[in-house]
Amino acid sequence: MKTNSKLSTKRSVAILYAVIGFLFYSTSMNAQDIQVKGIVKGKSDDVIEILSGANVYIKGTTIATSTNKKGEFTFPRKLKSGDILIFSYLGYERKSVRIRTNTSFLSVILEEDDNEIFGAPISNQRFKSKQNKQ
Amino acid sequence: MRRLSILLLFFSSLSLHTQQSDFKSFDFHKIDKIAKNFKAKRLDDLNNITYNLTKDFDTDIEKFRAIFVWITHNVSNDYKLYAKNSRKRKRFEEDTIKLEEWNSKFKKIIFKKLIRKKRTICTGYAYLLKEMSDIVGIKAEIVHGYGRTADVNVENLEDPNHSWNVVKLNNKWYLCDPTWAAGISYPDQGKFVFGYNDGLFLTAPDLFLFNHYPMYSQYKLTPVVPTLTEFVNLPLLYSGTYNTIDAHIAPKKMHHKIVQNDYLKFEYELKEGISIPNDKIKLITVSRVAERTYRPEVIQNGNRIQLKHQFKKRGFYDIHIYMGETLIASYTTDVKKEKE
Repeated sequence: MKTNSKLSTKRSVAILYAVIGFLFYSTSMNAQDIQVKGIVKGKSDDVIEILSGANVYIKGTTIATSTNKKGEFTFPRKLKSGDILIFSYLGYERKSVRIRTNTSFLSVILEEDDNEIFGAPISNQRFKSKQNKQ
Repeated sequence: MRRLSILLLFFSSLSLHTQQSDFKSFDFHKIDKIAKNFKAKRLDDLNNITYNLTKDFDTDIEKFRAIFVWITHNVSNDYKLYAKNSRKRKRFEEDTIKLEEWNSKFKKIIFKKLIRKKRTICTGYAYLLKEMSDIVGIKAEIVHGYGRTADVNVENLEDPNHSWNVVKLNNKWYLCDPTWAAGISYPDQGKFVFGYNDGLFLTAPDLFLFNHYPMYSQYKLTPVVPTLTEFVNLPLLYSGTYNTIDAHIAPKKMHHKIVQNDYLKFEYELKEGISIPNDKIKLITVSRVAERTYRPEVIQNGNRIQLKHQFKKRGFYDIHIYMGETLIASYTTDVKKEKE
């Protein structure tokens, strides 16, 4: 009984050290700046093509960039582990990517939204029933 | 808590009237002024545009108002794009593969046009409103369905042809139509003229339903849901109607059959702040042979307005109600001979 409780105290102390160690480790990693580059493509049916002018931004901020003609981007700000980058392009479903310590190049493929395209403009034409059409 | 939510449900289902009144305490004029003065040439950097447009506002309603006003004052409706799409959709009607291919190709065209030229058609408006709302953390959805106008889906239901939005503000869903709020198209001249219509911003669901029937019923936001057949039998309302009335009360249907010397009665509820003198109300009848303008009998009681007109001659008539220069609603009636 006694040895058991001794053992469990030892174990919990060990766990505590491990947790503290991990915290130090992760905060020190967090503090590290991460340069992120990447490419954004769009997928519709089975065709994948480059998206130029796609928006790339940190979630909830105005810190952003957009992709060049080759679909490439270099994020203007150094990122931290845990930051979330949002990729969006009109007509495609947006994607969010969580930055990890080892992130350096992101290849993001946005799926085409499967919405149909409609358009009924409103005019100021007046109704005319079939019976009264000449 | 449960009782409260039941109570809330009850109140929200009672919400016949314009939903803008939920936000009376906000100064829309000030928001509109900021939104109207905000300039962006292209829409490449939508994230920045949206943040800068809404940076002076704290609440969702203010931000959403700014986005809606900005879109409807800056994005024009491209009639040529619409016509091209309708033509192609008709041509590929029987061929689902080709229709899908066209849809995919067309999507790229419309989003390019939207980004570079700020020109689009309904779905582009609805997309943009959803995207910009998403960016500032407001939940909005695109709704596809049947738009009913003087020349589409008016007597028979054709294909789904229109897109609009629902938006969640303070935990309640609201309806709006950025396309129709932006202005009027002139199909014969192939042009579009900006003219903001505030009646299509957070519109009362019961009124909205006269011209908008969603493909999926959860987007109707009304407790009583008409069938599609009932939808095409509703009186036909116009975009100007939304600026003038809050509710169309009577008659319930578009087409009528009456006998000679019978009366038809019409009843509407005017929007707050709108007043129409009795002599500015016109009823026009159109038959195969002639168009006639009448002054119907008018009774006004608060914001309720009742009209009455006697049909003395036999024939088939289209009936149009005008308040001032605004065309409010159209109906038809077949007037038969009085029975002996």
